[in-house]
Amino acid sequence: MNILTIPLRNTRKKWVKTLLLLVVFTLGVTSIVSLNYVSSVVGESLEKKLTAYGANILVMPKSEKLTVSYGGFSMGDMLLGVTDLSESEVATQVASIELAERIAVIAPKLIAMTQVNDTAVGVVGVRWDKEKILKGYWALNGDYPTTKSGVVVGSKAAARLDLSPGETLDLGGKVVNVTGVLLPTGSDDDSVIFADMDFAQANFGTPDRVNFVEVAALCAGCPIEDIVQQIQKALPNTEIQALQSIVKQRMYSVNFVKQLILTVSVIILFIACCMVGVTMLSSVNERIKEIGLMRSLGFSRKGIFGIFCFEAMLIGIVAGLIGYLSGYALSLKVLEILDMAEGATLTFNGGDLALTCLFIVCVSVLSAFFPAWKASSIEPSEALISL
Amino acid sequence: MLEAKNITKTFHSEGVETRALADVDLTVNRGEFVSIVGRSGSGKTTFLNILSTLLAPNSGEILYNGEDVTTFSAARLNQLRQKDFSVVFQFHYLLPYLSARENVLLPYMKGLAPVSKEAKLRADACLERVGLSGKGSKIPGHLSGGEQQRVAIARALVKESTVLFADEPTGNLDKGTGDSVMELLADLKNDGLSIVMVTHDTEYANRADRVIQMADGHVI
Repeated sequence: MNILTIPLRNTRKKWVKTLLLLVVFTLGVTSIVSLNYVSSVVGESLEKKLTAYGANILVMPKSEKLTVSYGGFSMGDMLLGVTDLSESEVATQVASIELAERIAVIAPKLIAMTQVNDTAVGVVGVRWDKEKILKGYWALNGDYPTTKSGVVVGSKAAARLDLSPGETLDLGGKVVNVTGVLLPTGSDDDSVIFADMDFAQANFGTPDRVNFVEVAALCAGCPIEDIVQQIQKALPNTEIQALQSIVKQRMYSVNFVKQLILTVSVIILFIACCMVGVTMLSSVNERIKEIGLMRSLGFSRKGIFGIFCFEAMLIGIVAGLIGYLSGYALSLKVLEILDMAEGATLTFNGGDLALTCLFIVCVSVLSAFFPAWKASSIEPSEALISL
Repeated sequence: MLEAKNITKTFHSEGVETRALADVDLTVNRGEFVSIVGRSGSGKTTFLNILSTLLAPNSGEILYNGEDVTTFSAARLNQLRQKDFSVVFQFHYLLPYLSARENVLLPYMKGLAPVSKEAKLRADACLERVGLSGKGSKIPGHLSGGEQQRVAIARALVKESTVLFADEPTGNLDKGTGDSVMELLADLKNDGLSIVMVTHDTEYANRADRVIQMADGHVI
């Protein structure tokens, strides 16, 4: 038996009121937890899906561009000091950055020019396993190559060279099979021939050397600048370029969902806090004589303040605990119903539970701050005596 | 032991000034039973509230063991209310969610430290003294009006304070219950407790050692 007996007994005695407040607050916490979990999982899933629409970071060799003209005659831009990159080094270094788990795919490229049937055409060496992830939007007439001698031809290049799936062509002195023709993409991909990287390096370049590397990074939870900075640190002699428009476009979709959820969560939390505050205030007004009596018995202002804060804390602990568990369960159900958690998973985290409880307790106590302060300011003479 | 000197109290309400007390003096000796009587509005309750530190006077001194309590800090006033002064109100003001025994122990429940075994024994003794032994576990709603007032008296006694202030302690009780409360107060006085009681009942007032008559904020 101590000062905490008073709020404990009061909440027990007024159990209907306590229960109603608890239900409202718990529903608020449940909604916030489930909304946040669902948005987080859906956002992650959405971003992973968006990654299939191209890279958002380019790793290129350092070069210096010089615009040359003489006597009014322009010689165009000249690139000085252009070197190529080591494919294995780039892959290793990018995979070693602190935010490596945010890297979805690293797709190297080797570009070469060759002639097919006396027609100049660009050949791009790719790693098919990476490219298929990066270019999830590609549609093929035919199949992706399964051997090193298979190629995929862009739609415009196929028309120009009169190629169709199943045909063969001479590429750099080697006969290769056209396994598929890209349906028009509206990009540079339409005008080139995609070959296996090992084939391209053996016939048009040097083993392990590539011209540039495309990287697709997941940006939710960290800015693209951080990833770029870390890659730059890992590969100091390269030029890293973030494709901001792609990043912004992707992040807009993900952030829109998150901001919407955050706004709704803040509104729910605000309403729940108002409920706690109003209920505590009415409790103070109801118990004004009790407070006066306790003050006349020598209870300090701090003690009275503590009684009301403890009541709010009790509500916060229970609402936080039940609300989090219900919210987690609800998220699982909602994700199952919506079927939107593809590629992303929801895992139970004890730390999140503790943090949620702590946050809700703080919010609950803060909501009861004014009523508790009001209660502690009551003078026994105001509360008890009729003069 | 308790001395009031030149106590003045004025209330302001909606621009109207009402003088409740004007230069009131009173001395209460150790173990003395003083009753204050007077008509409604004579200032007797205001005076009792000022004596018991529940209300601050506009001017004057309240000397308790030679110290002016009107100059005490909030912490010292709390200490005084905890240890030395006890108040019994016309209404019992028991906490409805605590048992009779817990209500008696309320003065000891002001901190995080658990109530001591000694305090619990003292609470049981106080309940026995007011004739409520065996009813300690009942909540106030299950007690009669007289029993509730006795619990309030037991709550005032448990602290073993030196001065008991009682504001119309029999005001809400029937004659029989009122008589038993007065007998209890007389017993307490005999045990050395100083009592200041406000009442409008002259019969009960006359049971005190001294009767102070008040009218229009003055002792007459």
